[in-house]
Amino acid sequence: MNPLIEALLALLVLLGAAFTLVGSVGLVRLPDFLSRLHAPTKSTTLGVGSLLIASGVYFSQGDTLSLHELLVTLFLFITAPVSAHLLARAALHLGLPTRAAPPAVGEPRDGVRS
Amino acid sequence: MLSVALTLALAMVALALALSLWRLMRGPSTPDRILALDTLYINTIALLVLFGIRQQSQIYFEAALLIALMGFIGTLALCKYLLRGDIIE
Amino acid sequence: MLLAILLTLVVGPPLVAWLARFGRLNAAWGAGAVTLAAAYALWPALQGAMAGETQLQRIAWLSAQGLDLHFRLDGLGLLFVLLILGIGLLVILYARYYLTSRDSMGRFYAYLLLFMGAMLGVVLSENLIQLLIFWELTSLASFLLISYWQGRSDARNGARMALAITGAGGLALLGGFLLLGEMAGSYELSVVLASGESIRAHPLYTPMLVLILLGVFTKSAQFPFHFWLPNAMAAPTPVSAYLHSATMVKAGVFLLARLFPALSGTPEWSWLVGGAGLVTLLVGAVVALFQHDLKGLLAYSTISHLGLITLLFGIGTPLAAVAGVFHIINHATFKASLFMAAGIIDHECGSRDMRYINGLWKYMPHTAILAIIASAAMAGVPLLNGFLSKEMFFAEAVGAATQLRLGWLLPAAVTLAGIFAVAYSLRFIHDVFWNGEPIGLDRTPHEPPRWMKVPVELLVILCLAVGIFPSYVVEPLLRVAASGVLQGPMPSFSLALWHGLSPAMWMSVIALVGGISLYIARAPLFEIYARLAERPGMYRRAHHLLERLYLWAGAVTRLSTPERLPHMALWVLLFAMTLALTGALQAGAELQGGRTLLPMDLLGVVTTLVLALAAIATVLLYRQRLVALTLLGAVGLVVSLIFVRFSAPDLALTQLSVEVVSIVLLLLALYFLPQQESRATSPWVVRDLLIALLAGIGMALLTFAVLSREGQSISGFFLEQALPGGGGANVVNVILVDFRGFDTLGEITVLALAALGIYGMLDGIKLQGPEADSDGRRWDPDLYPPVVATLSRLLLPLALLVSMFILMRGHQLPGGGFIAGLITAVALVMQYLANGVAWTQARLPRNHHWLITLGLSLATATGLGSLLFAHPFLTSTFQHLHWPLVGDFELASAMLFDLGVYLVVVGATLLILVNIGLMHRESHTPLTDAEEEV
Repeated sequence: MNPLIEALLALLVLLGAAFTLVGSVGLVRLPDFLSRLHAPTKSTTLGVGSLLIASGVYFSQGDTLSLHELLVTLFLFITAPVSAHLLARAALHLGLPTRAAPPAVGEPRDGVRS
Repeated sequence: MLSVALTLALAMVALALALSLWRLMRGPSTPDRILALDTLYINTIALLVLFGIRQQSQIYFEAALLIALMGFIGTLALCKYLLRGDIIE
Repeated sequence: MLLAILLTLVVGPPLVAWLARFGRLNAAWGAGAVTLAAAYALWPALQGAMAGETQLQRIAWLSAQGLDLHFRLDGLGLLFVLLILGIGLLVILYARYYLTSRDSMGRFYAYLLLFMGAMLGVVLSENLIQLLIFWELTSLASFLLISYWQGRSDARNGARMALAITGAGGLALLGGFLLLGEMAGSYELSVVLASGESIRAHPLYTPMLVLILLGVFTKSAQFPFHFWLPNAMAAPTPVSAYLHSATMVKAGVFLLARLFPALSGTPEWSWLVGGAGLVTLLVGAVVALFQHDLKGLLAYSTISHLGLITLLFGIGTPLAAVAGVFHIINHATFKASLFMAAGIIDHECGSRDMRYINGLWKYMPHTAILAIIASAAMAGVPLLNGFLSKEMFFAEAVGAATQLRLGWLLPAAVTLAGIFAVAYSLRFIHDVFWNGEPIGLDRTPHEPPRWMKVPVELLVILCLAVGIFPSYVVEPLLRVAASGVLQGPMPSFSLALWHGLSPAMWMSVIALVGGISLYIARAPLFEIYARLAERPGMYRRAHHLLERLYLWAGAVTRLSTPERLPHMALWVLLFAMTLALTGALQAGAELQGGRTLLPMDLLGVVTTLVLALAAIATVLLYRQRLVALTLLGAVGLVVSLIFVRFSAPDLALTQLSVEVVSIVLLLLALYFLPQQESRATSPWVVRDLLIALLAGIGMALLTFAVLSREGQSISGFFLEQALPGGGGANVVNVILVDFRGFDTLGEITVLALAALGIYGMLDGIKLQGPEADSDGRRWDPDLYPPVVATLSRLLLPLALLVSMFILMRGHQLPGGGFIAGLITAVALVMQYLANGVAWTQARLPRNHHWLITLGLSLATATGLGSLLFAHPFLTSTFQHLHWPLVGDFELASAMLFDLGVYLVVVGATLLILVNIGLMHRESHTPLTDAEEEV
């Protein structure tokens, strides 16, 4: 294997794993639900994205092109925001305690913070 | 070089999996648990991708693909249940 | 012969049910056409049988196991085929007018044809076991027909009683047939009939005879099993006319006649058969007189006449057998016409109670004449068919009497029965058509539609023709049929009206005169009977017995499965543990086998740990149901990871899809259930925990012991044969669709049935769901958040692409119809979740039944396709193809089969999930167009 590509792959793999880990650490460490929501939906998704790129590069050596990864990535990037949106709605609906009060219904989104 | 990186990465993802599981068991609210389950699904994808590179096999990809799809639908159903109760209406 | 049975049993019922969709009467036309077609198919064979041949038709099935379809048509079969098809046709015509617009014609005729086919099977079988199968089918069809008016509890009870009695008899008959088959060395009737002497000399002759007679007596309503027949009168009258006079109850006496050469001629036979026949003859005749219900009278009279036929076979002389066959013909004609007449009266008066129905002569003279003639035939009045066979019967009774001590009792008893027969026949005539005016009827009776009377007229004409010109009309048929019974030389007999002043003649005269006198002097007898009848009868007693049996069964069931599931689990686990422990102690083998163990790796350790933790957390948090559900989701995910790790990708893919389907299913159910498990803790929690731990550890040890050993399995064969034999590299899929394709076909059939069953149960159920969640929060008003709805639509083509990919490559790489079906179903369920039922159903077919139908048909057709190339069912073929661009790949016929599996899975999953979802009352209100636009 080309050492340059190997280095790139190692970097991508480590980067992806690190982002994934950060997402889960955030999921554990952050104080309230709406904050916690940020960690996995952004960080973990990005991390997996990086891993998928690594995999795509790895399996595309020679004259074959690996397209599976593209499909997984597409799936993840379509679904992650929807999941986050739904979870946020559910949290608002249930009135989960947050540090920052959510905007009241009818108020503009950049409403006054309490 | 790559194999060292892979081992390291696998360990990190495994740790991430364990952390997500902790949140899943801990809660405290139901959206927390759903979020944790969703993260668990995505962590699993990461795990499978890494494992695939290490084993030089693409046989794990369908599972990863399916986890991506199924994880989302599970989250969708659970959230819909919280919001509306009746999920098929 | 096979064709006729297939037509009526397999093709007819669905055809008729389907025709009924295009108008009720089409069902009747269809049933008639099917019957005629069956007659046409049998015609050449019937002609042969009429010429005295015995025709056999063998269709190879499992010849190696000695199991073939084997049919036989001889004189006796000919007679019964004529009865079944002839009276069947008349009943079909009659029922077309009898059933009202509220009754489902399709269902009625479908059941009727089902019965007709089963009955044809009984009389045309050469193999005893095959005969028994058709015998049981007649019991089942009779159950369906008796309970045709399902809303009536007497119909349901009567049907259940009939099934319980005839079913129990069928079981005894099976035992008897097995003994008989072993004695004769073959289950073929030809062999059995030819080895009568060795059978009668066999030490097990008596138990075998008793078992067979139990079957015969229950079916033909012989004392003491007669009580189901009167209660079967809750059936629609065409059913009574067909099953309970002409055909099904004759199956018992048919069997007596069929096995006559093999079994008769011993004292056991004479006493058992003759005794039961005589008692039944008397009891039926006496009780019939005192029935107030028209059909009740006919039912008991039928019992009595069946007793008469049984007694004739019991007497056992060849001439008695001839008389028995003759009476089978005569009874079928006059009793069927009487039932039809009773049905007309019921139809026109709205009542069957003879205390209220009087003086109908004025209102329906035409029907009255028909009923009177048929009734006179039943009484045995000269110039009618009943007279002839009855006189032969009397003569046989006198003949038998000379061979017995106290022999005169037999003719005396028989004459007494004759007296009662005349009396109840007279009551049927006088009490209904004269005897004052009708009392309290809510309508004025009048003649029925013209064509409703035609079947009755035909039968009555037959009664007269046989009675007046017996030697022209019936003698040829009787000779052929009787020779079929005797399988040997015929006794000499002549059918004539006048045999001189024989004892039988005098007995007839006594019966007539005595019967008329008895009827005139009936009033005090009725009072005595009414007082006696207050005591619980056989039916009531049997009913209580059955009820008690249900209670006992319930108690036994509760012992193992009480209200709470844990008890059942406890028993099962304890039993399994005891078994395993005993086995382990006896074997005394090492725990670890000879295989070298694999090293532990990170993935294995992590997944196992996560699995254990998630499982423990599920147990700890199970009271909060939603939480337990999310934890279960994690457990399922990790299990599928383990499948991936240990090289079972197909299993992993299935597990993942099933996981989501179960989450959706449980959420659907959870909506209607309390959110919290009750707080009460079982006092046995420690015990339960201990047992659970022990069972778990035991299971783990067992798995370890098995996996660490080199086992012998057939997997090697499959691995070697998958590519050369099945044309696929994915062994799992090749096993599913090719090697064990028949299994899979059965499984998808079960799946389809389960889906339809669930649909049937849920149909029409509308539940009121809670308005707010468990914390009292009202539901979110936003039904379909646009972000979710839009992106889910975007996801659908991607998901379908994946499922198609997995379907197509399933034969070579992990995947296949089952997984692909689940993925498609889940992707479509996603649309229901995100966009709602109205939106989705506007774009997809509402009705998923056709998907299931299509899938099952495709799978079956693929299987049948191999028959065209003279290969066994479900043989797979495959072909290497080269597609430009795509490359080399193999195309197997099994992939079509897999497509069928795919369709069934999609249809069944959607049908179940969507219909459970629609159970909620408000979900069902369709949105208006305007709302749908939004």
